[in-house]
Amino acid sequence: FHGDGSRIERNDHHIRAVGKGDPQVFAGRAGEPGFRTGDPVVVRDMPALLYTRTPEYVRGATGEIASVAYESPAAEDETWDRPDAQPEWFYVVRFRLSDLWCGYAGPATDTLQTELPERWLEPAA
Amino acid sequence: MTEHDHDHERTIAPMVDEVTDFEVLEIALRELCIEKGIFTAEEHRRFTEFAEQIGPAPAAHLVARAWLDPDFKALALAEPMTASKEVGVDWLEPTGFGTPSDFTAFEILEDTPELHHVIVCALCSCYPRPILGNSPEWYRTPNYRRRLVRWPRQVLAEFGLNLSDDIAIRVQDSNQKHRFMVMPVRPEGTDGWDEDQLAAIVTRDCLIGVALPKPGVTSNVITDTRPAVHPVDGRNT
Repeated sequence: FHGDGSRIERNDHHIRAVGKGDPQVFAGRAGEPGFRTGDPVVVRDMPALLYTRTPEYVRGATGEIASVAYESPAAEDETWDRPDAQPEWFYVVRFRLSDLWCGYAGPATDTLQTELPERWLEPAA
Repeated sequence: MTEHDHDHERTIAPMVDEVTDFEVLEIALRELCIEKGIFTAEEHRRFTEFAEQIGPAPAAHLVARAWLDPDFKALALAEPMTASKEVGVDWLEPTGFGTPSDFTAFEILEDTPELHHVIVCALCSCYPRPILGNSPEWYRTPNYRRRLVRWPRQVLAEFGLNLSDDIAIRVQDSNQKHRFMVMPVRPEGTDGWDEDQLAAIVTRDCLIGVALPKPGVTSNVITDTRPAVHPVDGRNT
């Protein structure tokens, strides 16, 4: 066992992903994406105790889906290595900077894109 | 004992005067991991070699080739990791599934005369390492990460990049598995240039988006930092 990583349990993910890559190893496991490119969405303001990758600055903001990115378990589950984590769709979401920041001084065409898993999004009214 | 009992010329001086706490902990952690089989010494060597050979040259050549070849540009935008292979970067290296921290979801952001991209990782320092090398120190600072998402025009101005209001800025925060790189617009004054000439002006900073390629400029931005203000002693030093 000395110096041999073959029996380390947490290497399983790596072994599954060889030849595919990550997030490609999760392809086909999230079902139909709930949003399409161009859809207006609002970022939900969910509790984020201990860990999240959804930046505070987009909570509650309205943006639009710039692209449907890939399938993957959410970082909020992966970070704790949850074995039953269900992959979900990720989206690149585009926001106008003037919608994110009160008093944004640049032109209205300035934007910011960030990537969010489906659980954090709901359709904009 | 006389002064000739040993040869001063041949006395081996220590490489460093003292070993830092960080180095002590690095050795402790590495040796324990190897002892417990978390990874092998051979794996550690391979990762170190991987990290030492990466750099921005493949990304610069990818952009230069895209400027010269519309078909390659279309490939670069549609299938960035396939295009990466043509400049010698296989995103599945060095493990067969990519690096554990850079993932295999690469995307190239194409600038136009009306749109300029700039990348950041506000949460940490995510960066397209396999094709761009290790991130610059300033890219990892809380300062850049905090300010770029809020005041991109001011931050770019500090890098010497002043964009007029008719060019839209798009900040890309790399906060999940995608890694991004900017494909700038080919500048004026480069007619007839070959791939090597063009690649030489596509610096790392151009690929992050804090600079634009310019004929004659083949190194990264050096900013004029303002001296710190010390209100306590009233000095501007």
